[in-house]
Amino acid sequence: MRNPLATLSADDRALLRRRLRTPVLTFLALLALLAVNVTLGATLPFAQVWIVELLVVAVMVSLILLVSMEVIHEPPLVRLFSGLGFFWVAIMVGMTLTDYLAR
Amino acid sequence: MSEGLADGVGVARAGHFETVGQQRAAATLGIWAWLITELLLFSALFLVALITRILHPEATVAAAKHLKFWIGATNTVVLICSSLTMSMAIEFSRIGWQRAMVRAMLATAALGGLFLVLKGYEYYADWAEHMMPFLSSRPFALAETPPARLFVNLYYVATLLHAVHLFTGIALLLGMTWLAAKAGFLSRHQNWIEVYGLYWHFIDLVWILAFPILYVVNR
Repeated sequence: MRNPLATLSADDRALLRRRLRTPVLTFLALLALLAVNVTLGATLPFAQVWIVELLVVAVMVSLILLVSMEVIHEPPLVRLFSGLGFFWVAIMVGMTLTDYLAR
Repeated sequence: MSEGLADGVGVARAGHFETVGQQRAAATLGIWAWLITELLLFSALFLVALITRILHPEATVAAAKHLKFWIGATNTVVLICSSLTMSMAIEFSRIGWQRAMVRAMLATAALGGLFLVLKGYEYYADWAEHMMPFLSSRPFALAETPPARLFVNLYYVATLLHAVHLFTGIALLLGMTWLAAKAGFLSRHQNWIEVYGLYWHFIDLVWILAFPILYVVNR
């Protein structure tokens, strides 16, 4: 079991950069979005800040699903499954909140 | 998805599959079918948290002010880091860098362990502040606002359930790391790393939802 990280050739470095570019960019994007939410949560700049916070969470969840979990590259059947899961959640949340918010 | 596998990296076809591609797709579909059930489980808990906020806003905010916001934020950073190391393990597995893959898997398990340690400290701080309403021996700090019990109990159910998933994930990851360090693993079972990676990212996703819904929006 050799350790390529110990003695990287120019080709290995290029391969590593190419392969890790997307995970590292995703990581940085998630950290930046978390920083936004933490700042908003710590400072509470206006009353309806929770709307912005939930929107930021939606972006973070989409990033993890589409990029980290690679749904965007999966075959249609897997994309359908993952989409259906969130569709069912949307039905559950939508119908329940319609009741509570309309009382 | 498994684009760009290096020479000597792949999956040994099981007899009941016609092709390796079919086998890989079945494994991915299988883990997604299970993750959807998990998603519905956690979503129901988060939905109840939102309903508690709608029905009892003052009590929920009072209870949420006792949550350790900065520990929750730090734990979110820890899990995002673990997602990066898991993604690195997957990429290393695809290009056949076995030792780097094993180290990335160990780093992922270590970050998962760090999350549990921080969570354990958070529970200890909650205990010290009398924020465990289910303990009959310790009076609840917010006893004068009964609906706060609802939110705090829900917080424990949701975070403990997540911690159980994480603990199970770490145990599975360490077991798989032991297998993955053996010679020939990547030529026979490379997709195990990808399938497991989906589970780990899902644990991260659940916490990404839990942190704002429990800690942030109720402040």
